[in-house]
Amino acid sequence: MAAIGERDDPAFPVGAVCRIDSRAPWRQVAEIPVGLDPEGIAVDVARRRAFVACSRSDFVSVVDLDSHEVVAEIATGAEPIDIGLDEQTGRVFTADAHSDQVTIIDSATLEVETALPVGGYPSGLTHVPEYRRLYVGNSLGSTMSVIDLDTLETVATVDAEPGAGAIGVDSTRRLVVCVNFVAASANFYDVDSFEEIARLELGTGTCAIGIVPERGEAFIVNSIAGTVSRVDLESIEVVEEIRTGQAPVGLTVAPAHDRIYVTNRGAGTVSVLGVADRCEWSQIPVGNGPGGVVVDPHDGRILVANAGSQTMSIVEDLLAAKPPAPVVEESSPWLGNRLPAFALEDYWTGERRTNHDWAEKKYILNFFASW
Amino acid sequence: MLVDIWEGTEPRPEVERFCDMWGIKGPILLDPGGELATTLGVRGVPTNVVVDSDGTIRAFGAARLDELEQAIDSLYGR
Repeated sequence: MAAIGERDDPAFPVGAVCRIDSRAPWRQVAEIPVGLDPEGIAVDVARRRAFVACSRSDFVSVVDLDSHEVVAEIATGAEPIDIGLDEQTGRVFTADAHSDQVTIIDSATLEVETALPVGGYPSGLTHVPEYRRLYVGNSLGSTMSVIDLDTLETVATVDAEPGAGAIGVDSTRRLVVCVNFVAASANFYDVDSFEEIARLELGTGTCAIGIVPERGEAFIVNSIAGTVSRVDLESIEVVEEIRTGQAPVGLTVAPAHDRIYVTNRGAGTVSVLGVADRCEWSQIPVGNGPGGVVVDPHDGRILVANAGSQTMSIVEDLLAAKPPAPVVEESSPWLGNRLPAFALEDYWTGERRTNHDWAEKKYILNFFASW
Repeated sequence: MLVDIWEGTEPRPEVERFCDMWGIKGPILLDPGGELATTLGVRGVPTNVVVDSDGTIRAFGAARLDELEQAIDSLYGR
């Protein structure tokens, strides 16, 4: 499949594969069709490939990062959500939520090596090369599985809380942090003993984490609350709530650790947040319903999995530092205008319903997707 | 009312699972191709479009609860 650049944004003309706009502090490089509901991305730096976990397709799309083409699709267990790649062994790991397992793929042969059982509904994973550990958050099991990256043995299963998913590791303080979507909390464990040493209440819908160890800070996304919590890792307390775009879901720390990238599922953008000033430097448009986000260490480009448009965006953040003017969110041009006529099928009755059915009534259209 | 978009597959089984999980019984419209969403420039989910009794759009986005409450208050002149 070839890279595409079709967008509804008139400044990004249909058929273009690249947008260069000197006024914008970002550049759209490509938007590549992958499988259904892509959520997680891992980068094979040496082979210039991205592995995209496509949860509704039950496979991983392998994207050539130079040609921007999908070169393989690798079947996994049901509903692969998160994904990681261990460069030392060349193994790719997917958290297969609906199969309660982690699939292990050989990144050289692109074949499945094996699958490991974990807890109920694994939805997040993080691997730490220096510890030779893979940590898996099991949402329904309310546990965290700890797997040896080399022997593939489960060395511990630790109690967490409902909705356990994303995991962060602070190598400086030797902390493992498991964030729990349903419980809206985070558990802090000693990396060696797995003993829980602290717990934090967070915002609603806690779902992603990034750590800046030299500052002793963690940034945790609260998707329903629409904030990012800044957590002091010495005192283990929330010191600030930072607002981002609509419905933030994913987060990654930039290689220079001067900014973080937060995907806004409700806005189709990536917020660039300064680590030191906690200000939103810019919002980069990507595909519809973005979630997983990583930075390609090779060229610093940002890779984003767009669940709504079933694509992976490649974009560049062109800001060298904080811009002089703050971000101003553009309001919809539809504000103050009449809702266009519509005729849509009623899920319950199968009948066509039109806007005339709600004439002279006040109402809210809530656009949603089940993923 | 809810408008289901971007399932990427037959929406009915997905909506059924979603309603079972969250106990939803209210009106749901299906926009599998996302035509209305595209017309309105919806880029993500959730997106709330608050419509006045004369059909005028009074708020757009409002994904955060406080934003939605504010939009509803404004709609009812509170």
